[in-house]
Amino acid sequence: MAAQSTIRSSRLGRMAAFAGTGARVGINYLKHYGQRSIGSGVDENDLHERNAEAVYKTFSELKGGPLKLAQMLSIDHNLLPAAYAGQFAKAQYSAPPLSYPLVARTFRREMGRGPLEVFETFCESAAHGASIGQVHKATRDGRDFAVKVQYPGVAESLRSDLRIVKPIALQVIGLRERDVENYFREVETRLLEETDYTLELERSMELSRASSHLEGVSFPRYFPEYSCRRILTMEWIDGLTLDRFAKGPADQAERDRVGQALWDFYEFQIHTLQLFHADPHPGNFLVSPPGLTVLDFGCTKKIETLFYRRHFRFLDERLLGDRDALEEALVDLGILLPGDADASRARIRDLCAASIAILARPFRDGFFDFSDPSFMRSIYDLGEQNRRDDSLRGLRGQRGSPDSIYVNRAYFGLYSLLSAIGARVKTRLPAWLAT
Amino acid sequence: MENKEKLLAGFRDHMGRHGHPPASVPALCETLGVAERDFYLEFGSLEALESSFWEDLVAKTVTAVEEGPEWQGFGARQRLLAFLFAFLEKSLDVRTVLLFRFRSVSPLCNPEWLRGMERRFKEWASDLVAHASATGEIADRGRLSGLYPAAFYLHLRAVIDFNVKDTSMRYERSDAFVEKSTHLAFDLLRTQAIDSAFDLLRFFAPWGHRAG
Ligand SMILES: Nc1ncnc2c1ncn2[C@@H]1O[C@H](COP(=O)(O)OP(=O)(O)OP(=O)(O)O)[C@@H](O)[C@H]1O
Repeated sequence: MAAQSTIRSSRLGRMAAFAGTGARVGINYLKHYGQRSIGSGVDENDLHERNAEAVYKTFSELKGGPLKLAQMLSIDHNLLPAAYAGQFAKAQYSAPPLSYPLVARTFRREMGRGPLEVFETFCESAAHGASIGQVHKATRDGRDFAVKVQYPGVAESLRSDLRIVKPIALQVIGLRERDVENYFREVETRLLEETDYTLELERSMELSRASSHLEGVSFPRYFPEYSCRRILTMEWIDGLTLDRFAKGPADQAERDRVGQALWDFYEFQIHTLQLFHADPHPGNFLVSPPGLTVLDFGCTKKIETLFYRRHFRFLDERLLGDRDALEEALVDLGILLPGDADASRARIRDLCAASIAILARPFRDGFFDFSDPSFMRSIYDLGEQNRRDDSLRGLRGQRGSPDSIYVNRAYFGLYSLLSAIGARVKTRLPAWLAT
Repeated sequence: MENKEKLLAGFRDHMGRHGHPPASVPALCETLGVAERDFYLEFGSLEALESSFWEDLVAKTVTAVEEGPEWQGFGARQRLLAFLFAFLEKSLDVRTVLLFRFRSVSPLCNPEWLRGMERRFKEWASDLVAHASATGEIADRGRLSGLYPAAFYLHLRAVIDFNVKDTSMRYERSDAFVEKSTHLAFDLLRTQAIDSAFDLLRFFAPWGHRAG
């Protein structure tokens, strides 16, 4: 068996690994400037590509926190150059396996019984890796189960991992710590929640019950009697992960159907429940003959009505035409600060208006064709442009609400998934805006 | 209860209560109501008693893992992992004694009271090494392979050392340590790197071959 041996355990080991990355990134810069001075004409994208590779390599060698963080950053393209994002996105598929004795040990430690005392059969090698655990297939009483087992000590090492990864991430992304502090705090809270499978079980059952009436979406059955803090057992689902489905031979009608189910699911959660699955990456959805199955409610986010209204007011087309109203709405959300000078105020307002115009596009006509690649392209371009904008970099202060991180992440993830599938979906504005 | 068991249990209770071994054989015998004569029929000395106490922990662990339904199918790496996890599990029963005893000794020193544990574990590790050679999990290095059980024993001591210092919930970090260090150990024993290291050692060591 080829279980992985290079996970670094001690804090020191992790520090060393990160220091190594720092060095590699530095070396790439040196090479880059070296090449530039002899005029070989390498462009900056090339450099990003190589740094991303180095950073990604380190992230994927470390289990737990950094991998999770890498994944999370990968979805927020506004915070990362496209090149990093591509590398980080790979992270989720490269998790090293736990040995079977460790899986058995976890069962005994947490449930007082070995896997074969709980199930009739239990597949010793994992069926799927996950970022902080792995999924095994098991059977009992003629039923198939998916049993998710968590790496030991993940919860413990998360905090210190984040502390180590933060300065590096900041340096790589080029942001000031003070300005993104609440971003990191929010991410840390969600990360720690994800290590508690008891919580995940409760939420999964709650959210799937609340969404059970939606057409085309289903949820695995969950089994509290075989679950605990570090082990989560659900019904086994045969199906293709969303990225495989997207690349597969499915015809347009099927793509539309799956896409519509996905859209409706998010619309219901965000606009009605105001509690949503905040981890829309392709590994969390399976497509099987009856439709779309949603897995993994480890990362859910609840938003308050006040914030919800403030955030989604921007879907109102009239707001974009009215400068004063727009500024007022931006102040409400904390994106514009009272101390901003007039010039930067106008600058931010215009940039926001441009972003909103793009991001709200799917809501405009009651129908949207995500198979049009120019839509995602314009989102990426917008992110790149904001990132390169020096006038934005110079801005001080924490801006925006940390709550918007996960709302944006959910929508960005949703848009990416729908584009990957190439779905055409019926959309509509929330009722309170559609007047 | 047999005298042997009674004495071992008495030893554990004493350690738990006082944080050090009983002062003398008569002191222990008196509290337990066992005749001194019966003590010496079982153990030659207090050290021998303690030695047997730790040996017992290893023996019980071996029985427990070898009875497991998955044992036969396990390769050597998995067997060692299973043993170490089971050892941590069993040691919870004597956690207090473990803390008192191991917190203060370095994994490198080998006091009298650990002889039984060492012997019993190395015996088991020899079988493990044989199994590992058979499955090709580690390279056979002739006479040097004789050192493997000692290396595994050091590993066990390192695990105990990590565990007595571990403050994580349910000692989860000890589990992670066992997993990672075992993989490392087997990877080292499988590659050529260690051969070269041994070769070099052999070259310099007084007992090595001088040919060059
Ligand atoms: N019920 C199931 N039936 C079949 N496969 C499953 C099931 N649940 C999960 N999987 C597979 O295991 C993979 C990882 O599961 P999951 O996403 O729940 O783990 P995770 O630790 O939360 O990881 P991440 O945070 O990366 O999503 C999924 O991508 C999916 O392919």
